[in-house]
Amino acid sequence: MSSDTASHTEFHIHHDAPAVVGRRERLGVRLLIVADGAFVFGMIFSYFYLRGLNANNSWVPKGGHTLAASNGWVVAAPLIAAAIVHKIGVKSRSAVASGFVLLAMLVGGYLQWKQLAHMPFVAVDDGGRHFFEGAYASNWVVLAGANMFHYIIGAFIALGLFIRGFRAKVDPTLEYWRQLTASSWFTWIAIAGALCAITTSII
Amino acid sequence: MTTLHNTSTHSRPIPNPSKSLITKLNMGTGLVVGVIFAFAAYYAFRPNADTAGFYNQQNKALLAAMLFWSVGFLIGIGAFIGPFRWLIGKDLTAEEQLYLAGDGQGVKRYFKYCTDHKVVGIQYLVGVMAMLAVGGGMAMMIRTSLAVPGGHFIGASVYNSLVGMHGITMIVAMIIVATGPFGNYIMPIMIGARDMAFPRLNALSWWVLFTAIPVLCSAWFLGGIPTGWTAYAPLSVQAGPGMNAFVATILIFAVSTAVAGMNVTSTVVAMRAKGMKWNRVPIFVVGATMSVALAIPAFPTFMLAMVQTATDRVFNTGFYDANVGGSGWLYAHLFWIMGHPEVYVILLPGIAILMEIAPVFVRKPLFSYNAAIMGFAGIAGLSVLVWAHHMYISGWTPTLNGPFMVTTEMISVPTGLLFLVMLGTIWRGKPWMKLPMLGLFAVIWNLLIGGITGIYLSDVPADNYLHGSMFVTAHFHYTLMGAALTGAVAGLAYWFPKMTGRMLNEPAGYTAFWFTQIGFQVLFLGMFIAGAEGQPRRVVSFAAMYKYSNMISTGGAYLVGIGFIILLWAVIHSWRKGDIAPQNPWGAKTLEWTVPYPVPLENFDEAPIITSDPYGYGKGN
Repeated sequence: MSSDTASHTEFHIHHDAPAVVGRRERLGVRLLIVADGAFVFGMIFSYFYLRGLNANNSWVPKGGHTLAASNGWVVAAPLIAAAIVHKIGVKSRSAVASGFVLLAMLVGGYLQWKQLAHMPFVAVDDGGRHFFEGAYASNWVVLAGANMFHYIIGAFIALGLFIRGFRAKVDPTLEYWRQLTASSWFTWIAIAGALCAITTSII
Repeated sequence: MTTLHNTSTHSRPIPNPSKSLITKLNMGTGLVVGVIFAFAAYYAFRPNADTAGFYNQQNKALLAAMLFWSVGFLIGIGAFIGPFRWLIGKDLTAEEQLYLAGDGQGVKRYFKYCTDHKVVGIQYLVGVMAMLAVGGGMAMMIRTSLAVPGGHFIGASVYNSLVGMHGITMIVAMIIVATGPFGNYIMPIMIGARDMAFPRLNALSWWVLFTAIPVLCSAWFLGGIPTGWTAYAPLSVQAGPGMNAFVATILIFAVSTAVAGMNVTSTVVAMRAKGMKWNRVPIFVVGATMSVALAIPAFPTFMLAMVQTATDRVFNTGFYDANVGGSGWLYAHLFWIMGHPEVYVILLPGIAILMEIAPVFVRKPLFSYNAAIMGFAGIAGLSVLVWAHHMYISGWTPTLNGPFMVTTEMISVPTGLLFLVMLGTIWRGKPWMKLPMLGLFAVIWNLLIGGITGIYLSDVPADNYLHGSMFVTAHFHYTLMGAALTGAVAGLAYWFPKMTGRMLNEPAGYTAFWFTQIGFQVLFLGMFIAGAEGQPRRVVSFAAMYKYSNMISTGGAYLVGIGFIILLWAVIHSWRKGDIAPQNPWGAKTLEWTVPYPVPLENFDEAPIITSDPYGYGKGN
């Protein structure tokens, strides 16, 4: 391999141009989204696989409970709204958008938590042992858990962007790229929320 | 030839951000905080009479303790200082970042949250060697128990746990055996980068993995893992408390794998030296990147399988319980959607290392770089379409056995390309028969046997007979141990001078090579015979008709054990007292050989510009 030399700072990680660092960070986040996407795909696969199999007619057992499709969309809506507002905020370079995104994450997270706390699927057997009614209930709770995880990570990122929006010490170019990177994440969790909502709409 | 000249960057003042918390945190504080978190979680979730009917309290408390141990350790070692400082808008200063990189901290940096990719590479190397030693020790106990029919050297339940613990320890070790040490230490230098794309995440990937090791070991004190490494449901749901350790280990390991895979891929895509076009990237970098990129979408399905196992065990969901609408097939699907790509996650870097070595020791260009790329890409692409060949006899949709047989057998085509590249490179060459080069010949032989026996197993009628037999065990050991591990050991022999500054003891290395390779053939050819005769795997007692083949296998195992002990001695002895290595002992042309030992903190004082491919041997440049 033949090589020559270049100036000292050209490929220096600590001295890279903010846009170079920003692009790199966005690539990294997108790769993590691929991993998270595989997890979400696995959950949806599990849902429809067990639904199709309906072992012992226990996808939703006789007398079992289900949740209305609207429940999924109620918790997906804040994710979708947050992704749209954040995109607009990045384009208009408005710091207020981060505040709305944070609010959406908190409200959506609360709604998801409330659904989890009041799910009607838990039954009791003769021995007083509690269990989930059927495969639908099992899948629903894991999908809801994944949404909750997305809300927690989203809230962390939104809080960071919100706080940093008020600090003058950050590099504006790098910060702009970080907003773009965050946008990739918010867009993805909105898509994931919608996919989960669509999935749980088909009972 | 390269024209780089490097000078050490260690002459600058040692950073000392004395007021920063990061200077006070290390592995010790991590252990303390981790143990406190584990006990606190166990206490908070301990079995409680009020809620005893709702959850499986013991599983919940143990699983919580294991996961909180991991989180606590990471807090204690300072892994979350960076994200927290980002959150509050007070980014780490340049001095703090330099401190985190371990500049001027000597041996202490290996016990800290150090972001230098070379430190992380050494941490991975030592960790992998420890895991292989423990896993190998367990293999010796298994083979000793199987030396004679009815030889109850160990009890049946301990034997079951040994098989499971050996399997998962070795699988974890093999997944990181090449991309961990060499992907971290060597690869960034090979592509002309000053560090990994995300240095803090790089350290995170190692320390997250580190926290999984005591969790896995805890299984021994909780009744063991009775399921084998595949942890098939519903057996894993019904298993005792030791199974929680397996579940927690995989959950933790999956996080480490995702972070590491993302980091390596980002580094190679975004941080290559100027002029290093894709057709100039060293073949090891290509193979390692395809391996980790394949792991990024593959492992989350295993993680999901473990999440579902955990919720079945803890919250009484019914993913794998047919009584409440679940199915063991679901687990098998999720597991093998990860499991078969994982074989190639392990194999590709080992083969890529040998392709890196071959041109150097034959002094010829790599034969058909493009065929190697097509081979890697073909294997990676097809590997996600073959998982159900592990489920032929499970009863799951027999009509799909045919298509999965075809996709599985198609993998032999890109695998053939890899053989073609390796054989084409050494064809009519005059190999310099140093230790790394011996590995190439061993792998050509071992992978040929592992690959051909894989074609038998991909064939539905043959698999109906051979499934679940010792034949399968021998087949995948030929692939994983005979090819991937041998490739990684060849890589260690090759890059040892760059990573330690010393030459690996050659006589000891040759002795270890011949002991392991001869022993390996004896061990697993004996196992092929036993399997073809019908001996099932994972059973502690076998019929007298298999006694000779098992005796032969156990004899081979002892030879392998002796070989690896000699290799371990050679590595430790050479690391401490070996001959000082010249900068480029093999006369290789890739960039890592242009930097001195110890490699400067940021590898290159002046960034290289690449003007030709890395295998221009015999071309006068």
